[in-house]
Amino acid sequence: MSTQNPVIALAGNPNVGKTTLFNAITGAHQTVGNWPGVTVERKEGYFIREGKRYEVVDLPGIYSLAAASPDEKVARDFLTHSKPDLVINIVDASNLERNLYLTLQLMELKVPLLIVFSMLDIAAQNGIEIDFDHLKSHLECPVRPLVLTKRFDAGQLFHDIESALDREPCGATVRYDEIVEKHLENISALLDEYKKEKAWPEAWNEIPQKWTVLKLMERDPLFHKELPFEWSEAVEKEIRAVETHRNQSSATALADDRYGYIRGLVKDVAQHKTEAGSTFSDKIDRVVLSGVWGLPVFFVVMYLVFLLSVRASEPIMGWLEDGITWLMVDQFGALLRGWHFPEWISYLLSDALGGGLATIASFIPPIFFIFLSLSILEDSGYLARAAFIADKFMRRVGLPGKAFIPLVVGFGCTVPAIMATRTLESRRDRIFASLLTPFMSCGAKLPVYTYLSILFFPKHADLAIFGLYLFGIVMGMVFALLLRKTLFKTDPGNFVMELPAYHMPTFNAIGLHTWHRLREFILRAGKVILLVIVAVNILQGLSFTLNGQETNVLEIAGKAVTPLLRPMGVPHDNWGASVALISGVFAKEAVVGVLEGFYPDSSAIPGAFGGTASGIAFLIFVLLYSPCAATLAALLKEHGWRWSLFSFFYLTLLAWIVATVVYQIMTFNAGSWLWLGVSAALVLLFIGSLNLMGKKNVVES
Amino acid sequence: MLSNRNTNPLRNLGRHFRRRRKACHCKAGDCIGLDGLQSGREALVTCNNDIKTIERGLYHGKKVMSQRNVAGEPNIVVAVGDSRYVLDRRIARMIRVRLV
Ligand SMILES: Nc1nc2c(ncn2[C@@H]2O[C@H](COP(=O)(O)OP(=O)(O)OP(=O)(O)O)[C@@H](O)[C@H]2O)c(=O)[nH]1
Ligand SMILES: [Mg+2]
Repeated sequence: MSTQNPVIALAGNPNVGKTTLFNAITGAHQTVGNWPGVTVERKEGYFIREGKRYEVVDLPGIYSLAAASPDEKVARDFLTHSKPDLVINIVDASNLERNLYLTLQLMELKVPLLIVFSMLDIAAQNGIEIDFDHLKSHLECPVRPLVLTKRFDAGQLFHDIESALDREPCGATVRYDEIVEKHLENISALLDEYKKEKAWPEAWNEIPQKWTVLKLMERDPLFHKELPFEWSEAVEKEIRAVETHRNQSSATALADDRYGYIRGLVKDVAQHKTEAGSTFSDKIDRVVLSGVWGLPVFFVVMYLVFLLSVRASEPIMGWLEDGITWLMVDQFGALLRGWHFPEWISYLLSDALGGGLATIASFIPPIFFIFLSLSILEDSGYLARAAFIADKFMRRVGLPGKAFIPLVVGFGCTVPAIMATRTLESRRDRIFASLLTPFMSCGAKLPVYTYLSILFFPKHADLAIFGLYLFGIVMGMVFALLLRKTLFKTDPGNFVMELPAYHMPTFNAIGLHTWHRLREFILRAGKVILLVIVAVNILQGLSFTLNGQETNVLEIAGKAVTPLLRPMGVPHDNWGASVALISGVFAKEAVVGVLEGFYPDSSAIPGAFGGTASGIAFLIFVLLYSPCAATLAALLKEHGWRWSLFSFFYLTLLAWIVATVVYQIMTFNAGSWLWLGVSAALVLLFIGSLNLMGKKNVVES
Repeated sequence: MLSNRNTNPLRNLGRHFRRRRKACHCKAGDCIGLDGLQSGREALVTCNNDIKTIERGLYHGKKVMSQRNVAGEPNIVVAVGDSRYVLDRRIARMIRVRLV
């Protein structure tokens, strides 16, 4: 019987439904989306059945076991080194040929395998009929066809897992070209001899010899480096013989042969009932990707997304806020006072907390609509097309079109956006794209936008918010151009990106997807905001006397920073705004918490800021300045501390310059010249230092 | 004489250069680069030395259809079997196809 806690890995091509299956069997809520590269790191979960615990590992999608990008390496390394007890290979039934390429490699690796076929509905829609019993007999592997997005019989799947755990690895093997087989045997014989004479490399202990032979034939450097020179040279001779015979590199020869085998297999077990190139997706793409309509469709979709996110939420926002204020502040407050609670308790509970809740309520509608439109964009399959269309603009600023996807993800949250850059193949592109993600206003900045926009522009809050989003994108492009001219002078790396089939977004999937994100976000942001409000109230209460004046920690910290913010319109006595900005580095939504804590009566805020100009400058600063701590940590993890610090300093500097220029121009007077001059000098410093870094070649191309 | 430790990197370097992707050449002039395949036309892959695209299904003998190929754009869109890819022109240029 298999081990105590069997480890089950989910492997397969990108976008075949691995995470969907993972969520179904473990009850997790990992993100799924209809574009390749949603999962970029290992996700672990478990399920318990009949008292036994099964560990399940969801992996990033891979096309083969030769990895190129970091997310693919994660998957390959887990499959080849960690020896899971069972690999569930999910195969997209609507794309049998390409998916079986990985299956063959997994079979050659001799891992215990259960093949789950997904997307049966899409296959049927495309007129593909598969004889699964026939396929099973060819592969000598257990198979289970499923539609993962519909309710399926989990009991049956668990039964399959249980029996697959006890099975031997699948039996079928690929026959390569005769000459190739001969040379593979020669290498195998060489290895047998080697085993007798020398110590067998430890790294090869757990791997079937056939796999080692194939990898040596493919000239995998990880395998060749284990062999001493003479032996490696002997292997090389065999490889060269194959290459001369096939007139192509050995790796491509093997790949061609595998496809030869698969082609025969698929012809035998599957039937295409409809003509190629006439699927539902092809028909849509004829319009969406056409030279004439592609661009207009792209702009209309993007406009609809914004319209839905900003306009649709406007009325609901007002109702919710009024409703909660009425309930918590007016009614609940009156009740508490009626019960003769001490004044400070009823103040904290009703005005501070109630006001906080009302603030949180006000940003739920826009964030809901943003998440909703992101979900529709991601689940329909349009996102990958948008990336293609956007490629033209992206190239201008020095990024490959594929980087459009992380940027869109950035409108939800910057951390997953930085993770999503893993799917880009060159390091230059990954770093470059990561540095731009903070310009896409994330969900946590939205509360700040809504809160202040309603106060400063009661009539046109929606337009102000829209403007901020747009301004962020424009500034991102400007920053990108600057980086392209200084730090990232090389061309973007080349790429191959799969366009997934369109899926009709189901109400259920979109609803659930949006709901999980929304709940997670509200819980986190709500907690931050409420905690900050309470903390500000408490810290303000804890006053002490310094130099004969009553003060508190916040005041000291705030007043220390405020002079720096003076040029962008933060008056001396509005040091609460400085505290808000400092706390915003930890989490953007904290800005709202702090302001709410300082100004329980929010209508006092425009007065405290001293006018619309400083409000706008403040919002711009929030939009552009240092990303939050979680984002800095993600940058650190993905690209190292230097890029994390870079992002912190340069974005804060940029924010200061832009906010100052905007404020000084809006309130132009004689003194403005000084600050405009300082800003100009800083711009020169900014560009100069980037240039210098570019010369030092900090990002090796 | 170089020791084993020193020859290994050198050998790998030599292999690296030898292994550099060979571009495919057309002998009789009956084939074109995939980047030259007009929108809507079909062709057979006659030579591809790029392992990444082979693994995604653009292997020798496979039928491809160009879905969008606009001069001046950095990428093209191709249909291969049941997959659709956005392909960088720089990669597409290396792949040789014969019109059918
Ligand atoms: N119609 C249909 N859609 C499916 C099925 N299985 C998954 N999907 C959808 O396919 C898309 C991709 O699913 P994911 O679970 O994110 O795929 P993945 O394999 O984890 O993808 P990566 O993490 O990008 O490698 C989602 O939109 C799913 O809702 C299925 O059996 N039928
Ligand atoms: Mg996934």
